[in-house]
Amino acid sequence: MQTRKATSFSYLEQWRRWAPLAVLIALCILIGLFNPNFLSTGNFIRLLNSAAIPVVLCMGATFIILMGSIDLSVEGIVALTAVIVSLLVANDITTYKLGLFAVPVAMAIGGIMGLVNGVVHVKLKTPSFMTTLGIGFAGLGIATAILGGLTVRIADPTFRYLSLGRILGIPMAVWIALAAFLVALTIQQRTRIGAWIYAIGTDEVTARFAGIPVEKTRILVFALAGLFYGLGGVLAAAQFGQGHALIAQGRLFTTITAVVVGGTALSGGVGSVVNSIIGVFIVVVLANGMVLMGIEPYVQQGVQGLLIIAAVALALDRSRLSVVK
Amino acid sequence: MSKEWKERLHTYLPIIFLIVLVLLVGAYDPSFFSVGNFLTVTADTMTLFLMASGVTLVIMIGGIDLSIQAVASMASCILAAYLGRFGIWTIPLAVLGGAVAGLAGSLVSTRLRIPSFIATLAVSGVVLSAGYWFSDTRSINIPPDLSASYLSWAVGDTLGIPNEIWVGVVAMVVLSVLLQLTPFGRLIRGIGAQEQAVIASGINVDRIKIAAYVLSGTMAALAGVVMAARLGSGSPTLANEFLLPAIAAIIVGGTAITGGVGSVWRTFVGALIVQVVRIGMTFMGVSVFAQQIVFGVILVAAVAITLDRSKLLVVK
Repeated sequence: MQTRKATSFSYLEQWRRWAPLAVLIALCILIGLFNPNFLSTGNFIRLLNSAAIPVVLCMGATFIILMGSIDLSVEGIVALTAVIVSLLVANDITTYKLGLFAVPVAMAIGGIMGLVNGVVHVKLKTPSFMTTLGIGFAGLGIATAILGGLTVRIADPTFRYLSLGRILGIPMAVWIALAAFLVALTIQQRTRIGAWIYAIGTDEVTARFAGIPVEKTRILVFALAGLFYGLGGVLAAAQFGQGHALIAQGRLFTTITAVVVGGTALSGGVGSVVNSIIGVFIVVVLANGMVLMGIEPYVQQGVQGLLIIAAVALALDRSRLSVVK
Repeated sequence: MSKEWKERLHTYLPIIFLIVLVLLVGAYDPSFFSVGNFLTVTADTMTLFLMASGVTLVIMIGGIDLSIQAVASMASCILAAYLGRFGIWTIPLAVLGGAVAGLAGSLVSTRLRIPSFIATLAVSGVVLSAGYWFSDTRSINIPPDLSASYLSWAVGDTLGIPNEIWVGVVAMVVLSVLLQLTPFGRLIRGIGAQEQAVIASGINVDRIKIAAYVLSGTMAALAGVVMAARLGSGSPTLANEFLLPAIAAIIVGGTAITGGVGSVWRTFVGALIVQVVRIGMTFMGVSVFAQQIVFGVILVAAVAITLDRSKLLVVK
């Protein structure tokens, strides 16, 4: 009895691990059958390009969700860094012309916003969803206030090359996203922080007893996520050639959907950045497929909402939850 | 003695804060002190209060409802789109839409055991799409003659007092009676304070939770209806940017984010505080854009101040 239960459990675990990939492949086959254009090289590059920014954002958000926390400040930080970077390169409002030096500045500001998230959450012991909701709105407010609701146009071709330039026929944004993924993967697999993130997400009390600096790790991870959001803001500004406070609209929803659909559990400890890559592609392929099938774009957020529910319901290990708030 | 005094201070702090704010704004601009102006300010606050009043119950059980702005927008779309066809019945229909959204969020949260913030966030995506569908992705104007015959209960004056205030007062009385005088209210407090104990005493906790979320959706939809009546139009993004002030109103009023402690009149006071802060900032020339920064900071600060840390072992 005991063994049978154990086998069926591990079988289920096995299935859970591969389910996101199976869903992705099934989606590709289905949409490909429906519309052969889906499988063309042009569409493939379009898919990669639209996955670039979500991948960068997910790299930060995955670590936070792996700790069992959540970050709702994605849109606020992306909007703020996108606006700041557009004001620092050649543009039609300010006289700064920092060129590519604006990129580390914007990323640093993202990092600082993340740091504020982490410090407030850890030191004041406010739940992460509340902290990041407040800080995120503050970021959005700062972005709107800087521009007074206007839009700033970027007139720096070198900066826009970050998104639009092509190497080997593939947009620069995709290469940057790939680099961000490799950095995140290295952090996850090869550093102590990576191991500590899993330990905290699995059982924070035990992690603390084991001597892991839980507070420091939490703050660091929120700051790290801010850096990734900052890079996401830079890419968004480079892609659209402008900065305004609404540039990040809908990014939070896509990011959380992708992380969760990829199989990272909201309860923490289970998942990885590789899962999030698969999750991003599920979301992007689905959006692309709906466009090919002529479904109204506003339906997408509804479908993403249903996806979150389905994925969380399938992935959550309910035995660990006694009370759900 | 000192603990009792501290508790009493905690109860009346929001009211003291509100009075100080009113005096400050009044000192800056004496014309602020007039019965007419007070009535206008209160009437302007009512949509915010209606949105926040239902969520108060959800926060008291220790959950959160992030779908209220999408629900209010959807209700405004239903009202504006169908008022010509269904007449007065459109109002219960729109409010019912909100109740269904609340039911959906709570079923997802309780049956599938998903944390409420993610369940309601996911449902808000669906509700937003529904709003776009009802309105055909545009803003719909309500013809003045329809508004006069069906929506006068929300926008006119009765006995010299704006009707929004009457609607708000009725909502406050009904919800306060529910919370203070019925077993339902006691169970809400119980679940927020110590859910395991309520489960152990054989209460069907999920049913109480579902009722709280349904009330939250209902009140958000009612807020959307009043908002649409005031503006004379409905749109799928009508109530955007209302989520943060609504949650801020609840927390600033003194309802604890950890659950168990709170009441609807606190949210009423909190909503007035938010409104007076907003007026004060406008007087001082703070741009509308920058006000969101202030609300974000107020929210985090109020959570940090009101949090009962003895109840938290691990903060996620």
